[in-house]
Amino acid sequence: MIRSLNIILIFTSVIMLAGVYTLKFSIEHTASERTALAAQIESQEGDLSLLKADWAVLNQPGHIDPIVKRHQVALAIGPVKQKQFGAFQDIPMRPVKPNNAEMDALFQSLEAGIDPIDAILELEGIE
Amino acid sequence: MAVTAEDLSPTIALDGGRKIRGNLTQARIRWMVLALVLGFGAVGGRLVQLGMVVPDTTIEGQARDLITATRPPILDRNGLEMAVDIRVPSLYAEPRRIIDVEEAVTKIRSVLPNLDEAWLRNRLTGDKGFVWVQRELSPAIQERIMRLGIPGVEFLTESKRFYPGMTEASHILGSTNIDNQGIAGIEKHMDDENVALLQELGLARGNALAPVELSVDMRVQHVMHEQLVDAMSRYQAIAAAGVMVDVHTGEIIALASVPDFNPNDPKTALVKDTFNRITAGIFEPGSIFKTVTMAGALDSGAVSMTDQFDARFGVRFGRFTIDDFHGKHRILALPEVYKFSSNIGTIRVMQAMGKENFRAFLSKMGFDQRVPFELPEMRLPNVPKDFSEVGAATASFGHGLSVSPLHMVMAYSAFVNGGNYIAPTLYKRSQAEAEALYRRVIQPQTSANIRALMRLNAIGQGGSGSQMNKEALGYRVGGKTGTAEKVVDGRYSSSKVTNFFGSAFPMENPQYAMVIMVDEPKAENPQSGTTAGWNAGTVTGRIVQRVAPMLGIAPDFSPIIDDFVPTAYR
Repeated sequence: MIRSLNIILIFTSVIMLAGVYTLKFSIEHTASERTALAAQIESQEGDLSLLKADWAVLNQPGHIDPIVKRHQVALAIGPVKQKQFGAFQDIPMRPVKPNNAEMDALFQSLEAGIDPIDAILELEGIE
Repeated sequence: MAVTAEDLSPTIALDGGRKIRGNLTQARIRWMVLALVLGFGAVGGRLVQLGMVVPDTTIEGQARDLITATRPPILDRNGLEMAVDIRVPSLYAEPRRIIDVEEAVTKIRSVLPNLDEAWLRNRLTGDKGFVWVQRELSPAIQERIMRLGIPGVEFLTESKRFYPGMTEASHILGSTNIDNQGIAGIEKHMDDENVALLQELGLARGNALAPVELSVDMRVQHVMHEQLVDAMSRYQAIAAAGVMVDVHTGEIIALASVPDFNPNDPKTALVKDTFNRITAGIFEPGSIFKTVTMAGALDSGAVSMTDQFDARFGVRFGRFTIDDFHGKHRILALPEVYKFSSNIGTIRVMQAMGKENFRAFLSKMGFDQRVPFELPEMRLPNVPKDFSEVGAATASFGHGLSVSPLHMVMAYSAFVNGGNYIAPTLYKRSQAEAEALYRRVIQPQTSANIRALMRLNAIGQGGSGSQMNKEALGYRVGGKTGTAEKVVDGRYSSSKVTNFFGSAFPMENPQYAMVIMVDEPKAENPQSGTTAGWNAGTVTGRIVQRVAPMLGIAPDFSPIIDDFVPTAYR
């Protein structure tokens, strides 16, 4: 009776032992994976911070201005002048469309030999 | 002989062998139990002891967290980064884990030959748990040291402050020390105010710090800095400085002072003459102070815009006679006094107001104390408590008292915004927030008069601001020149001058006020002069010409726009 119980207990404990060790190793593995990931995140954050700093440098007016000046001649650009500004109200209205029918009539009468200016001159008394 | 019981020796009692062995076993068991109890007790005690140990996480006296702590990024008003954190590796050693000090020293010096051998050996010897070897290295050097594989030598990633604008906004930003603590400028102010508190609460240790938004516009800042550097060489000046402020909110749009330093290399800040002249420099303001006298006198009601003042003869005080620089020597109307920058006329204006009232007005404008401002680099202005007759006379045209250019720009801003004094700030501030802080110093009508005077000085015949107006035509700038003679060997020198130009634009509805200073300028060419109109004035004009479009101000050439300027004195 006691003997079989002992055997059962020994087997149980061996199994438990194996189980505990498996668990331990798997946890250690997970932990090391986590550490590796954390380190990777850390290093990538570091890289990111450098890239962000680079980006900030490239965006500075103080960085762009010399580049613009260098290519000023080639690109034909320059600082904006006062006279280059305008407003919508400064743009003149679209000119009235020419009256085509009247023009046609004028040309036809000219071709026919009648110049309307003669009538006006006659009216004014100029010869 | 009788046998008595007394004579009997005690009865011999013999135990059986089994019993003896039983007792022996029991004693052994007791000893074993005792030994076990002691053994487990020792183990338990040690466990408790280990549990009580507080691990030393400090790094040479500083909490590890504090060193890896980040600072919030600083952005300008349009969201452009002015200061960011970068992660850099720092080399440290654990001397108690180093096996062969000599080998470690040789190997480290093969990568970092700049380290002193004796210093390094001394550093790595001993039983310490942490010593810095070299901080803030490049990733390439980190890689090379890692490859050496020295036990007990490791890396820690630190946060380092980086200023992408380099020198451009140096006096605004200030700088940080190697432990990432602010030591100057807005960085120091942030530490004093919030970051230190946040770090104490353990909030600033992550990397998700909300960025700090400043009121500065980096585009304007760049133009101002560039123009000041240009002015330094163009006029061979010893220094130049400028500040621009939003007159309605008190937000500083740009602030620069050259020579300056590179905040990425904090030791350059220690070079002589790199101090912030706008906040930490006090100067005799010269004629730009006449605007203050005019505002005070007009607001008191003692003088009006049409009053005439006798400027035919100098004003005598005992042995001294104060005369005009560009003397007209005739009777001048008040706008002409301002336009021709007549010292005599200004003294008469001040005398009409009374010197006590004049002194009280200076206090009202905050010329007695530091301007309430975020930057720690501030200096007390030097304004006499009481004015003598001569003192008041010289003060009316800006001599005999010293104030910072920041004082002047804030006064100008109050004069043109309708008469409300607003303390400057480097943080963003909305119109509504600003209005809660307004302090009325002059009446709106006086403010309108000052605007007319300032614009008159730019467009009027012979006005000292005409040089400036030529550069910034169409942007309706108005302003006042100031050429303050420096005291050399106890007397005023006419060759060494500090030049100022106080201005505002667009004058019909001012948005921005600006003060430009050029220290000890020389004439640009033989045709030009050394008075403020030639240098500080033209610098102002060039800056406005560049920045007005950025600030959303379009040029306007219609003559009606200057109708508020009295035509009689143009």
